[in-house]
Amino acid sequence: MIQTEVDIGEILMHHTADAYSLDFSFFQIEWHSWPWAEFSLLGIHFNLTPTKHVVFMVVAAALLFLCMWMTGRLLEKQRAGKTAPKGFANAMEAFVLWVRNDIVIANIGEHDGPRFAPYIMTLFFFILIANVLGLLPWGAAATGNLGVTAALAIMALFTIELSGLFKLGFKGYMRTIFPSLPGMGGVGGLMMSVAMGPIEILGKLVKPFALCFRLFGNMTAGHFVILTLFGLIFMFGNLEGWRWAIGAASATLVLGVMGLELIVAFVQAYVFSIITAVLIGMMMHEH
Amino acid sequence: MYSLALFLQEGHSEGGASGGPFTLEPGLIIWTWIVFIVLFFMLKKFAWPHIVRLTEERERTIQKQLAEAARLNEEAKASLDEHNKLLAEAKDRAHELVIEAKTIGEKERERLLAKARQEQEEILKRAKREIEGERDRAVAELRREAVDLSLAAAAKLIQQKLDDAGDRKIVEDYLATLEDKS
Repeated sequence: MIQTEVDIGEILMHHTADAYSLDFSFFQIEWHSWPWAEFSLLGIHFNLTPTKHVVFMVVAAALLFLCMWMTGRLLEKQRAGKTAPKGFANAMEAFVLWVRNDIVIANIGEHDGPRFAPYIMTLFFFILIANVLGLLPWGAAATGNLGVTAALAIMALFTIELSGLFKLGFKGYMRTIFPSLPGMGGVGGLMMSVAMGPIEILGKLVKPFALCFRLFGNMTAGHFVILTLFGLIFMFGNLEGWRWAIGAASATLVLGVMGLELIVAFVQAYVFSIITAVLIGMMMHEH
Repeated sequence: MYSLALFLQEGHSEGGASGGPFTLEPGLIIWTWIVFIVLFFMLKKFAWPHIVRLTEERERTIQKQLAEAARLNEEAKASLDEHNKLLAEAKDRAHELVIEAKTIGEKERERLLAKARQEQEEILKRAKREIEGERDRAVAELRREAVDLSLAAAAKLIQQKLDDAGDRKIVEDYLATLEDKS
């Protein structure tokens, strides 16, 4: 018999949504929107009351900063002691350098790469930790929120376009919107360039849009799958004699999906940062 | 059913933040920017430099070494060019010298040859002259001898002592007629 009073869809939506509450089962805290933090600007209603995702974002940022700060200190100490890098610090150094060399410099170039490395490295590790926090018990993935991914994507858009503007100069940058088409000159070429303008602008906007939805979709979908599989337990939990089998099957499936989610957490951080790096690199090498 | 109760409780304890995962909350965008930018600058100041310092130093060193190597290579190439130029110049000079020496030698040979020829001619001339002188002298000697002999023969023949000078004149005249005939 199916237990109908549990609305899995409602739980699912609620779980992945943002909230003014933190729930660690042994410790719960709840708050309400602060009226003084709400304001309207340019017709958009802003509410700066911290939410669950804000809290987890801050936690992710704090964890990341502590981790990297410790790594830096340990590395400097090991270097000062002339001992070979070892343990945690060495692993983190290798990880950071992999991001720096294989994601940033490999795509942006020897010359411009190091300037963008801090941004991309922060981006990668921030998304990674935010993703992984969502997999922890009582955790929430801030990257499974459209607002967060939109903010990151808008930031990527500005970084890409401004880097192009500074690198290519105003004239060179306008070339990326109104391209000079090979083999076309005169009035015809000019008209074609102007006609290409809207398409190029759309192309520039679509890339971060894809970044935003890719990250959001991947993180949300994983949580949906896990919650749905857990939901099986509640839906079929009162089947006499079969509950243990349902529970075991559901838990096994969730374990597998969790493993997959761990990979997805890494892959999505990688994908977001490498695409940003590639787009910056394309701007840098535009002629 | 503890966890189920939790789920339900969570469902009811909605703080009213948003309707679902698909809502775009502008406040959260601002929060994300704040958190990310603060994180970015803190990491940039306190963490990344220490982690990537050695690598960047190594890269700089390698860059410097590469530049140095390129510079040295350039220098080596320049000096090789210089060397080749000098070598070519030396070769040209040697060639010139050889040609000059050859012309000088040729000239010298010509000169020597001419001189030798001249000397040879001179010697020949002198020899001829001497031979002629010798011959003239011999002829004269022969003539005198012949005169003496003739005189002696004549004296014996006519058995009388003749006036030396007058007789001599007669014989010489005679001999002169002989010479004319011969």
